Amino acid sequence: MISKINSLDLWKIIPIIIFIIFVSPVAIVLFSLTGEYSENWLHLIEYVLTGYIINSLILVIGVSLLTLVIGVGTAWLISNYKFSGKRFFEWALILPLAVPPYILAYTFTGLFDAYGSANNLIRDIFSFQDAYVFFPSVRNIYGAIIVFSFTLYPYVYLASRMAFLNQSKSILESGKVLGLSKLKVFFNLALPMVRPAVIGGLMLVIMETLSDFGAVDHFAIETFTTGIFRTWYGMYDLQTAMQLASLLLIFITFFILIERFSRKDISYVGSSSVYGEIKFIEVFGINNLLCFGACGIPLFIGFILPIIELLNWTYNYKLDFFTGVFLQNSFNTIYLALLAALICSITALLINFSIRFKKNKFLSFLSSFLTLGYAVPGLILAIGVMKLLTYLDANLFSYYFDLILTGSIAGLIIAYIIKSYALASSIIESGYQRIGSNIDDVAITLKNTGLKLLGRVHLPLLKTSFLTSILLVVSEVIKELPATLILRPFNFDTLAVSTYIYASEERMFEAAAPAIAIVLVGLIPIIFLTRMIRESRPGSQNKDTNNA
Amino acid sequence: MKNLLKTMSFVLIGILAAESIFANEVNLYTSRHYDTDDALYEDFTNETGIKVNIISGKGKALMQRIRSEGRNSLADIFITVDAANLWKLQKDNFFQSISSNKIQKSVPANLRGPNNEWVALAKRSRVIFYDSKKISKKQIRKLSYEDLADPKWKGKIVIRSSNNIYNQSLVASLIANHGVEETEKWAKGFVANFARKPQGNDRAQIIAIANGEAEIAIANSYYIGLMLSGKKGLEQKKAAQKVSLHFPSQAGRGTHINISGAGILKNAPNSLNATKLLEFLLSNKAQKHIINNTYEYPVVPVVRPNEIMSQFGKNFKEDQTSVSEYGKFNPEAVRLMDRVGWK
Repeated sequence: MISKINSLDLWKIIPIIIFIIFVSPVAIVLFSLTGEYSENWLHLIEYVLTGYIINSLILVIGVSLLTLVIGVGTAWLISNYKFSGKRFFEWALILPLAVPPYILAYTFTGLFDAYGSANNLIRDIFSFQDAYVFFPSVRNIYGAIIVFSFTLYPYVYLASRMAFLNQSKSILESGKVLGLSKLKVFFNLALPMVRPAVIGGLMLVIMETLSDFGAVDHFAIETFTTGIFRTWYGMYDLQTAMQLASLLLIFITFFILIERFSRKDISYVGSSSVYGEIKFIEVFGINNLLCFGACGIPLFIGFILPIIELLNWTYNYKLDFFTGVFLQNSFNTIYLALLAALICSITALLINFSIRFKKNKFLSFLSSFLTLGYAVPGLILAIGVMKLLTYLDANLFSYYFDLILTGSIAGLIIAYIIKSYALASSIIESGYQRIGSNIDDVAITLKNTGLKLLGRVHLPLLKTSFLTSILLVVSEVIKELPATLILRPFNFDTLAVSTYIYASEERMFEAAAPAIAIVLVGLIPIIFLTRMIRESRPGSQNKDTNNA
Repeated sequence: MKNLLKTMSFVLIGILAAESIFANEVNLYTSRHYDTDDALYEDFTNETGIKVNIISGKGKALMQRIRSEGRNSLADIFITVDAANLWKLQKDNFFQSISSNKIQKSVPANLRGPNNEWVALAKRSRVIFYDSKKISKKQIRKLSYEDLADPKWKGKIVIRSSNNIYNQSLVASLIANHGVEETEKWAKGFVANFARKPQGNDRAQIIAIANGEAEIAIANSYYIGLMLSGKKGLEQKKAAQKVSLHFPSQAGRGTHINISGAGILKNAPNSLNATKLLEFLLSNKAQKHIINNTYEYPVVPVVRPNEIMSQFGKNFKEDQTSVSEYGKFNPEAVRLMDRVGWK
């Protein structure tokens, strides 16, 4: 009896304490809004702010449209049609997730600048004269839209793919029987049903695009984020920089709220779990080619092309990277990524469970709030984490325990969790959306409550979502750079850090080897992920994949 | 679930306890990350037995970490590649005075803080690279930074973005000498002469000259050394051979100089070791190592620049504007560049 009471109390308190620790760095950033407003604001408003906002908007709109087309389109093709290379594309389409946007940006300029390798190649092949430039410049907002879209579309692809897999075929079949065309079935039935999942994936893409600094800085586009850093680095005004970052967050919150409201009372859980055998439509000839092209192009631009260019650089300039230091850095990277992913996914699971089971409004609010962490530029987030840690050190740890948290791995882990909570939570949330509440009612009737409900009923159903969340967080942490750079302990490098050290000075030839390593290490979770997605469809296909 | 929580708390405790403390060490926060510097630190450890611990990152971010950590900071030395950053920490009273007769004897006073709060480790100049087929020696001989606002250079100049701190320091030095109004007028004309929207790093500007995209580029001196040395590949070497170097403003104030420098922090837990490391970095041997690998200029007068660099001129006139001014006028320089539309 006693243990039961304790566990109940802990149940309420622990998540809230954990959460407050995770939320406070974001809160610290937002808190800057209550402080003083320097005269730099007048300057920003008069000369640059409009430009920052317009560029950021164009970027977000462009990236959203393109990722939707690529992500949903390829997922629909893979889920419904049979064409050449389909089995390969099914998993390969996720590969660009292993390429950080900043690395694609660097390889793009390496290829397409006036004297980049692609233009040189064209000149060599057709023996044009030196002044001839075939490919247009990529150092502009359109180049940036392409870079973000082709590295981030897998979030939308993954979400739509899982949703299409779990979609009840009977509704789509009925649509066809009732005489809807293929396009109408897609736009009027299939798409509305997977909307929450797709929007969830899209939100991740938008937040990542807005918080990125590396790629837009490399292309010299003045976005909100580059403005934040210009204000901090150039005008020595961190306070205003943090206020700018807060505005960005408020803007995104607005987005999230609109989205939440718009689907408030609609349930997306299928009324019955009827999963018939999937019948793929086989396509031939020109249609086959079109399907192949539609899946091949994103994979080529987002993955194959950068890998070729990186290999080219590595081979020509820096093969000696693959030494003991490389092993140590890889180990550091994987170790941090796994640890952060585990904690982050468990937190997301517990929180989403509490929200569902206890209908806890406060937690629900905190959870949405923490989701914002994904949209905070890494360095600004790191400042928040640093302030939290140094406060804890000064008032608690060095005082009572003779320990210093700042510059320990704890800071890194906290930053990673804040940065990737949105990933974990959105995956687990959409997993929960597919579990009908009637299951809970049955379980509760059978006296399965609290942790038992979670462990015995939800966890088995959420296994795929939980593992997916771990893998996505792993691949995010492997790529994370700015926060790692500033929070890490002495003599502690990750692969992203060694890439940065060269790339920051555009010594891309030397950066190529560690960049390839990031991609390679990032592939590990993604390969696991693809296997799971294939096996995840309830009721079928397991035999099939085991043979594969 | 319970077991999982238990394991996790053990792991967490393990992480926190993993912070080990070495007795004989020196802790470095540095935004100067060249591979060849690591070799120097290794030499230092071999000579003295003092272990060098390093965190590298962006200058401003490291400065914020120092601020935030306050008394608990483990940082002994802060190294940066721009004088403005040193000035900022000096002004906010984060540095202690470096007490070393050796350093005071070997490094000229203008390359040290007013009270030895910091000391330069290497020098670089911000110079003009040009296409000698299109611009004659005579045309370029007296060219100053100020002259580059002349409409006759319209569409002929390339330079990187104003986000770059080297450009910010250059404009700050102009503000220090001419005032804001005059500099703004100059910047308007200068920006109007750009051949393209600012993009790429300093090396990309030099390559643009080699490719004939523009006639004049502004970039730091050592890039040409790196490119000519062949360390950056044959293509860059070939490109570098096509361009010539001009030291601007030789008839006037002299060519703009910036430094890479270091200071010892007030709360440094190992300040004696820190002084030893700085003395080591300013020894003739280490200075030679730096200039032969990064092609910067030495700060110790007895050491001569690398030959690749001295072929462009051995005794050019350096701008004597105090490097402290760069930091003081940096925010003003950034706002000014915003106003004139220097992207």
